[in-house]
Amino acid sequence: MRSENRALWQSVYLVIVVAFCAVVYASSKHINYNWNWQRVVPYLINTEPQSVRAPFDGTAKVSTDDKTLTLVPDAGGEPVVVKKFSAISVNDGDLIFEGDQVATISNWRIGPITEGMITTLEISLASLVFAVIIGLFIGLGRISRNLAIRQLCITYIEIIRGTPLLVQIFIFYFFIGTVLSLDRFTAGVASLAVFTAAYVAEIVRSGIQSIPPGQMEAARSLGMTYVQAMVNVILPQAFKRTLPPMAGQFINLIKDSSLVSVISITDLTKAGREVVSATFAPFEVWFTVALLYLVMTGALSWMIQRLEKKLAASD
Amino acid sequence: MHLQNAEDIIIAKDVDKIYPNGCHALKKVSASIKKGEVVVIIGPSGSGKSTFLRTLNQLETISSGSIVIDQVDMYGKNTNINKLREHVGMVFQSFNLFPHKSALHNVMMAPLKVSKRAKSEVEEHAKALMKKVGLAERMNNYPSQLSGGQQQRVAIARALCMKPKIMLFDEPTSALDPEMVGEVLDVMKSLAKEGMTMVVVTHEMGFAREVADRVLFMEDGELLVEDTPDKFFHNPTHPRLQRFLSQVL
Repeated sequence: MRSENRALWQSVYLVIVVAFCAVVYASSKHINYNWNWQRVVPYLINTEPQSVRAPFDGTAKVSTDDKTLTLVPDAGGEPVVVKKFSAISVNDGDLIFEGDQVATISNWRIGPITEGMITTLEISLASLVFAVIIGLFIGLGRISRNLAIRQLCITYIEIIRGTPLLVQIFIFYFFIGTVLSLDRFTAGVASLAVFTAAYVAEIVRSGIQSIPPGQMEAARSLGMTYVQAMVNVILPQAFKRTLPPMAGQFINLIKDSSLVSVISITDLTKAGREVVSATFAPFEVWFTVALLYLVMTGALSWMIQRLEKKLAASD
Repeated sequence: MHLQNAEDIIIAKDVDKIYPNGCHALKKVSASIKKGEVVVIIGPSGSGKSTFLRTLNQLETISSGSIVIDQVDMYGKNTNINKLREHVGMVFQSFNLFPHKSALHNVMMAPLKVSKRAKSEVEEHAKALMKKVGLAERMNNYPSQLSGGQQQRVAIARALCMKPKIMLFDEPTSALDPEMVGEVLDVMKSLAKEGMTMVVVTHEMGFAREVADRVLFMEDGELLVEDTPDKFFHNPTHPRLQRFLSQVL
């Protein structure tokens, strides 16, 4: 494309994006919504100083260099030395009562939204690993020459793909989870892994079948067993071809992980819901949650693209 | 006719191949090939010559008959087909190099993974073979960076690195541009001179005339003629061979 056209369409794109944002802003104004982004920040990272409170009634003693604070109980007993603080809120010799703030600590703590995001990452990563392992074997079984194995794998894929993930999560948690006494995290990971594995299996199968049969023949004619040929020749090539659809599936997995909030796992989505009821700032919170999902899926898709580039060396 | 001879490294007897769809690809094909012999199989397309070649390392299974390779019955109860294939190298029409590995690693893969030979020894052997096929400079190239003729020569080196007793060639020059046929045939000729047992399916009549010890003619799944190249080309007696030769020569 010629350069002036490029600049033209680039600006058309920007105008459309800016117009869309303006529409969103205008409609929020229209319903008298007051944007208040600051309210979300403490739920991401809490930078507020934490109070250190007196555990009993007594007297405060501050050392001359202001480095240690000692609390002497009125009732007798061992004095308490407060070591970690950033500012002392009492003077030497002050009487203190139980629950009084005696010092503050400026301590960065992650907020519930960030904690939810970490949970989402943990669940996604754990189920991704299991989904790939299960999916690989189901995919290989799907093209097995043994009829029983093949039909078992087809049954698995059809059942899992034919029922909603939400229903599967309930079944895993309430039925399988009860039978095997799984905790909710394990049940959540298991249902996501089993669900994603069905799709991974189909991707693996199509990847293997896209490799020309001559590759298997060449490997076998060199004396390799079926397994050796798969491991050394077919799968490395299939892996490369399946990366783009795999990336899509993994992104789906991260997004689908939001459904585990129905079994009371405090993932990013559930944390968002809780923060909304605490802040009454639904727009800001949900936009923030969406952005955090986008950061996770974007990072994953970027990593897979880099891997693709690296593997493209032999093309 | 086909006496079991210790010198015979390949003995195929009454080999029949019927595909599940009913196609009768091989009809009672019997042939023995001696150690060090170069046998060329010629015939019109669809005559079963490639199928027959592929039965010799069981890429195609047979419906009935028997095949004995180096005194091992291929369909014997205790026969390990993978062990047997280690000594039967195969070169394909479409090269079938492993595209995700460099030329040198294509050659080294099977000796390392299958024969479990020492890496240093395999590397030395592979490099020597790459030199032998004239590709010492291209060892680190990926197959996609090589021409067809170069890829086929790597494929030959790859098969040779397993130290095979027999080499099977399935139309090794049919997928090549005309100017690259010569370089592959040269490698095959030098291999024949070194005394390698070779079974070659080809349309290169010149190669058959020059290098073959024996030429077989197949048509419609039947082995019709087996003769020395001299008689085969200059004194054909079988009417169907006469007709075929008049078409291709």
